[in-house]
Amino acid sequence: MDKRNIWSFRFTTASLVLIPVAIGINYLGKLFANILKLPLWLDSIGTILASLLAGPIVGAVSGAVNNIIFGLTADPISFVYAISSVAIGLVAGILAAKGWFDSFGKMLMAGLVIGVSVAIVSTPLNIIFWGGQTGNLWGDALFALLMAQGMPMWLASFLNEITVDLPDKLVTVFVSTIIFRRLPHQLLHMYRHDDKIETL
Amino acid sequence: MKTVKSMSLYVPGNSIIHRLEPITKLIYVMVAGVLPFILPANPTAVLCLAVTLAMLTISKTLTKVIPLTGFTLLVLLSILFIQGLFHEHNQTFLFRFGPFVFFKEGLSYAARISLRVINLLLGISLLSLTTKPSDLIDSLVRRGLSPKIGYVLSSVLQIIPQMAASVNAITDAQRARGLETEGPLIVRAKAFLPLIGPVIMSSLIQARERAMALEVRGFNANRRKTFLRAANQSSRQTTIRILLILILFAAIVWRIFA
Repeated sequence: MDKRNIWSFRFTTASLVLIPVAIGINYLGKLFANILKLPLWLDSIGTILASLLAGPIVGAVSGAVNNIIFGLTADPISFVYAISSVAIGLVAGILAAKGWFDSFGKMLMAGLVIGVSVAIVSTPLNIIFWGGQTGNLWGDALFALLMAQGMPMWLASFLNEITVDLPDKLVTVFVSTIIFRRLPHQLLHMYRHDDKIETL
Repeated sequence: MKTVKSMSLYVPGNSIIHRLEPITKLIYVMVAGVLPFILPANPTAVLCLAVTLAMLTISKTLTKVIPLTGFTLLVLLSILFIQGLFHEHNQTFLFRFGPFVFFKEGLSYAARISLRVINLLLGISLLSLTTKPSDLIDSLVRRGLSPKIGYVLSSVLQIIPQMAASVNAITDAQRARGLETEGPLIVRAKAFLPLIGPVIMSSLIQARERAMALEVRGFNANRRKTFLRAANQSSRQTTIRILLILILFAAIVWRIFA
């Protein structure tokens, strides 16, 4: 049997059904973070879980659909950041395939890489749409401070985004990994293409 | 049983905007949203904004836009402030407000950004307020979107309210078991995992069952899928759509060669 390739995927019934659930989990993360008044978004747990379970493509699609649906039904601005969500899914899926989620030390690095990738993708969007701001109070205060020092806008904007994104993605990856490790095996096998018996 | 709030911004109505085909509105939003970026002049944005506002008025959804724009307006105000003070190319002194010195370049930059964002925001709002999400998905599938992706999209619309409705029940149940959900940050942070963990587990197990149920009902069959409702397609809307796309192309061509 040939080795599993992370890019070889079919939209199996199992992975298609996973996408709405991932988006639901994203939503719950945000809701619980609000209820507990946590200073983070925590709204990409589902996207990362989808990447861990079914690979980068399914994760990326979950991210995209997540922002499209929320753009349409709740907050129009979320459309703009669909690309950032796609980046979360892609990067998490690739890192997972490379084994970055196997130990807690590596997992922290994975959170770091995901946070930085999201910031790289989001910064041009922030500059195009918001003149470099994020709408987050602390990040924007930092942005104003750096701009006042005469720092180039792209750098100030990147630092603005990363102060907001990095802690959020670190915690998100941490929570997702803990949950992923406790999932029953029969669930994990659903999404593995190399497992001929349980494939749907 | 608690009623589940449906997930949509749709405001029922029977205006001409409501009756436009969802795809036509989608194309309009894309064209009107993108135009000010292709032709970077304020008049373009103002024109697109005016058309969108007129359509919002006709569809009687103008007041419904206000709650959608609240946060964005706040951010735009801070942009006006920050750019007016600190924009890279600030040179021309405009006015002084207390200790703050505002410059012309930064303010006009902020104004341009604000116009584009408000234009885009209102365009998307127009689509969301006058179109049922399920109708939009339906007409996308008719236009060649894979029915499987169509299923995914409509499934999201059903799953989110269900999961949201379970949130209070879970919170109460865990509180009854002694979980602290209030107090210092560290206590609240510790409560996150016990709250979200069980729902994630159960929803993933439900997903497995749903996948099997769909599979035995031929979800993966390669037959042509049929529709529950008949399509109502008028030729006049095709003309509108072609016209909109032509405008977009003209703008791109003008930008490249002029």
